[in-house]
Order: sequence, then structure tokens, then C-alpha cells
Amino acid sequence: MALRNLIKRGLATSATPPNVKAGIIISRTPIVTKELSKLESQYYEYQSELERRLMWTFPQYFYYKKGTLAERRFLALQKGPVSKQPGVWFPKGVPDVRHNRERRIKQDIKLPSEASVGSEGDGSSEDLSRPITPNSRVTEADRKGDLTSLERSLSRTLYLLLKRTNGEWAFPSFKTKSDHRSNENLPLHDIAEHGLRSIGGENINTWTVSRTPAAVLADSKTAEFFIKSHIVAGKFVLQNTKEYTGFAWLTKEEIQNHVQKPYFEELSCLLSDV
Amino acid sequence: MFSKPTCARNALRQMSQPVTISVRGKRTKSKGLVSPALQRVVTQLSVMSAGKKQPRMLKLSREDLIKHQVIQRCWATFQQESREKQNDQMRAQYKSAEKAMHMLREIDTNLYNAANANEAGKRFPLEIRIPTEHPPSKIWNYNLKKKT
Amino acid sequence: MQFLRCFSTTEGCWKSACSFVKPVHHLVKIDKSKLSPRFPELKFSKNDIRSPGFKPVATHQDRVWDHYKHTVQSDMLLITYKHGAQVKEGLKKREWDGSSPYHINRQARKPKGSDAQLPDIKPIKWHNIPEVESVVINCYVKEAKENQLLPITAALQLQQITGCKPTPVYARNDVPTWKVRRGNKMGAKIELKGRPMSQFLATLTEIVLPRIREYKGISNKSGNRFGGISFGLTSDDVRFFPEIDSNQDLWPKTFGMHININTSAQTDNQARILMSGFAFPFHGQEKIK
Repeated sequence: MALRNLIKRGLATSATPPNVKAGIIISRTPIVTKELSKLESQYYEYQSELERRLMWTFPQYFYYKKGTLAERRFLALQKGPVSKQPGVWFPKGVPDVRHNRERRIKQDIKLPSEASVGSEGDGSSEDLSRPITPNSRVTEADRKGDLTSLERSLSRTLYLLLKRTNGEWAFPSFKTKSDHRSNENLPLHDIAEHGLRSIGGENINTWTVSRTPAAVLADSKTAEFFIKSHIVAGKFVLQNTKEYTGFAWLTKEEIQNHVQKPYFEELSCLLSDV
Repeated sequence: MFSKPTCARNALRQMSQPVTISVRGKRTKSKGLVSPALQRVVTQLSVMSAGKKQPRMLKLSREDLIKHQVIQRCWATFQQESREKQNDQMRAQYKSAEKAMHMLREIDTNLYNAANANEAGKRFPLEIRIPTEHPPSKIWNYNLKKKT
Repeated sequence: MQFLRCFSTTEGCWKSACSFVKPVHHLVKIDKSKLSPRFPELKFSKNDIRSPGFKPVATHQDRVWDHYKHTVQSDMLLITYKHGAQVKEGLKKREWDGSSPYHINRQARKPKGSDAQLPDIKPIKWHNIPEVESVVINCYVKEAKENQLLPITAALQLQQITGCKPTPVYARNDVPTWKVRRGNKMGAKIELKGRPMSQFLATLTEIVLPRIREYKGISNKSGNRFGGISFGLTSDDVRFFPEIDSNQDLWPKTFGMHININTSAQTDNQARILMSGFAFPFHGQEKIK
């Protein structure tokens, strides 16, 4: 409907085009893998157990040469299978051992850890054989509930939202200059990127996905085109306090809670569920 | 068959001539007649081949089989649903971009031409990485200074 | 090239020691194991748990595929979007104009400037966004003509790197100047799809390529015009794969390999944009059509 109005307006009074605004949907892509649902994690567990059960016997003779110390160390760790004896009743079925592996069940391989072999590990950062402790997927920002941090919700795509002085949240958007001719050379994505730096400081590295606007929000007076972009490095620090009072990096669900319903419904297809 | 006696006779004739008797000395070859290089390749072949390494086939009871089939059906349905959802989202994004470009063409030809330019040489930045299971020690590079 | 057909299958027809029955009786492949009533399990498809060839597929989260689905795909849609794009017709065979009666039933002429017909280039929409279809790793060992054991080692190397089963590669022709004889085993290759492919791509971009000294990236000139990108790894580069790196003493000799990435992109430019989404670096001048 708005589109038809615009076209009509354009045909009727081509001298005064509607105000064009360039909005920017700037996102931080996920840093860690997505959280698995219960179905997914259970299915993966089931399938990987099946895979282990159906795996071929570990070719230990390939990795550990016969008669070496490493082989003895490896063999000492393995729990050997129960072999078949004549005249013995096996409650869990007659063993079927081949190549030192019970063929009816999965093979459990334990690798000798380097730390127990060599010098005693003191856990310092120089000690290369220290056990690997992965970093937590939940960060400090998550615990504090800091919405302005880029280190929150690592498994989700975060989008930058700004709070206007009237208390409304929206994606950043910038007016193109009213004088049309002077602005001719500056395409939409440049306007959006320059505008972002004018309110968020220069120390920010972004990558514009495409020159093509991803969406438009139009009413009778203005047409707001949205350019997609990713933040790659740097920090958004709010500079201009006249127009905006705050900013936040939000996930899709949080955006839904922050912005008005029609605004969200127009743009929700652009936002990633993960 | 018939030449066997003559063969033996020939051998006897050779035997009657003086021969040096070989005395068994120290073994120079290892037990097998396989060179170490060949032995390595034999090992490599056996790593790749199934011989003696295969586990027993799964024997599922009827109940287990039905359970398994239910799980598989559930997973297939889940996959199909998520695929359709993703496809719908892509379609909505395409329609949204199409609508935006259509409107832009009505409003401003210059902006439209700039937005519709060919982007053949574009590259994703190397900083955008495939997500890992656990975050890196330095999660985000905040200290970026604009190049002057 | 001479085409020979095996008795019941077309596989392995480049092997030297293989019996051929001429003339060809069966053009339809017959799997005789399935004809026998003795092995009813063989009649199940490979993804059925009752089949002896059953192997679970979705055993873990596929983070490369997830990354594609959640980030790269929608970006690719927007990057390749062109308003009002039409189908760009590829070169096609030219029909005769019919000015002579002999033109009836005469074969159409070759397309201008090309030996073969080229496919149409369709605009990218939501259903044909480029994605990686498969990765083919091809390891051709030149020295295999002297040492027939080397292809075995090369095959094991591929198997260790990818965790999948390689298939042997045979020389197709006699080339007297290179001393290559038809039917000799010359190496191995693997086609990767699904999770093994994701695993391989991630290992390549996260571990192997960054460790190569003075690596500039995949050449922007590489490509087969239809969305396939190839590059090579030398035998020294292969040592950076963790499976080989952690067992250096088992690998006195490693083999370089060619890696072909097949995408569903219709042009190489699109394929390169797509691959850069998986953190593959590119270098050099790109020809932009």
C-alpha cells in the first residue's frame, strides 16, 4: 500500500521525492556453535554411540611399533577383553575376540597422556602437555547481563540497537542530505557506514555485506532502506548523545521485546534465529 | 611325470662331482623374507582393509528396530521442518530485498544504480570465522585504531 | 580414449588385470549378491540399520554447515542479488537455417567460440543460493610408475586425513615419454560430502593453510568456469595436517594432492565469494565478467 502511494506520489510530483534514510543492521556473527536442542543432542549421542559400536578395531600396530616402550605404555592402559574358555558359562554371551577386541561391543581406547609420561606437569602456561581446559561458553558479560558488550551470547548473532531520546529502540538510521545533487555520489551503504562512525566512533571495523539494501520501511514521508553489515573488530562507543541515549547488542528475541511490533515484523525475516 | 627319473639321475650325476659343503652360519636375513619397506606397506594396507577388524553386525530385536525407526523418522521430520523454515526465511529475505530495490528505483535512480552494481570481487573478511565449540582466549579485538 | 566395459559393472575398467568379455552382453549393471536369497540383509539400503553397510551419518554437530546456514547463506543471497536479472543464456548449438534440403536431420553446428554448449546462468534466488556440494581430493603419485607400493601409502594418507575410504586411481593411457602404462595404479582419490567434508574444510582453513609459510591464498585464476575451484597442496604442506603432524615418524614420505571444491555456484566469481565465507584466502587479479 505504501509502495503504491509512493509510486503515485512519484508520478504526481517527481520534483519532491520522499526523504531517503539509510539504516544499518549491523550484526556480530556467532563466535561459538549454536546451542543444541534436547532432540539434537540426544540424537547425536545416539548416533555417535552407534558409530562407535560399528567402528573397526583400532589398528594399534600401526601407531605403536612392536616392542617399543610406547606400545607397552599403551597396552598397559587398555582393558583387555575376556577371552573364550571351554566349559565356562558367560552370562553376557560368549566372547568373540579378534585382534584383542571384543567384536560384540564398542572398543574403548585409552591413550597414554603425555603428562604422566614425561616430566611432572606443574600446570603452568609454558607446560605444553598440560590438560586442555576449554574456555567457558558463558562469559562475564552474560553473567552481569551487560547488553552493551560484544562478548555476550557468544552462540547467537547480535544486532546493534540504539535508544532514541524518546525512549524508542531502533536500528541506527541516517538521513541522506536533503540537497539531492550534492549527495549524488554517495551510495546508501556509504551513508550508512559513515553515519555509524559518526555516532559510534572511528575505532570500529565493519564489513558491508552488500550494496543492495536488504529491506525497506516506508510511509508517506520517508523511506528507510536497511543495509546489512557485520562488525569485525573494534568497539561501538556512543558519541552523539543528543539524538541517542543508549545502545545494546541484542539477539532476535530480545529485539522483539525492545522494539514495536510492526517494526519487528517488517524486519524479523532479516534477523537470524541463531 | 615321466621325466622325473631322468631328472633325479642328472642330479645324482651332479652330486658325484666334488661340491663344497655349506655350513649354516649366522642368519643374515630376518625371519620373514619381507623387506622393512614392504613390511611397512603391508601394515599400511592392513590399516585400510577390513580384515579381522570389523565388529559384529548389529542384531536388533523387533522392539529395538521399531524404536530405531521411530527415532529416524522423528529426526527426518525435524530436519525437514528446519529446512523448510530456513527456506522460508530465505524467500522472505529475497522478497524483502526485491521490494526495497523496487522502491529505490522509483525514488532515486542514482542510488538504485549504486545499489545494483555488480559485486563480483567481493570477499568475506578473514576475521569472520567458523564458530568453534569453545570461545578463544581473546574473544573480541577491542583495541582497533583507525588507520590514518 | 578407448572405452571398455566390464562384464557386469563399469567400475575398475582401467585396471590392468581385469577380465573383459567382448562383445558386451550386459549393459545393465547386475548386482548378483542381491539376486541370491541367501543374504536378505543386502537388499536393505545402506542407511537402514539392518544393512551390513550401515554407517551412522549425523554423529555430531556440523559447525561448518551451521555457519553456512546462519551467516553465509543470507549474505550470499544479498551479495548476488541483482534487481531485474534475467536468465543469461549460455552458448548453444546453432541450427542450420534450412536453406538447403540437406539441412534436414543434419547435426547442429558447434556454438560460436566454444566446443561444447554452455549452461544458462540463472539469477540467484532463495532456492539456488550457492553452496558447497562436495570436495574431491585427488592424489596422483608420479613416482608410482617406478614404485607400485607408493599408491598404497598415498591412499592411506588420504584416509588418515579425511577419515573416509579412498578409491584407487589408474593411469588411463599409455604415455611412453613419461613411462606411464595404462592400467597402472597411480594414486588415490576421495570424494567428500556432508560431515567429513565440513571437517576437512575446517581443518584446512584453521590448521593447515595458516601454517604454510608465505601462503598467499588460492589463486583467483583457479576455477573451471562453472563454480568449481581447485588448488594444490605440496607434499610439505600435507605435513601440517594434525593426523600426520602428530605421527611424523610414520610418514617419512608424504604426497601432495589436488583439492577440487565443487559448489553449486554458476560462475567462479560466486564460488570464490562463497569459499571466502569459509575463511579461504584468495590472492591475485580476478577477472570480473
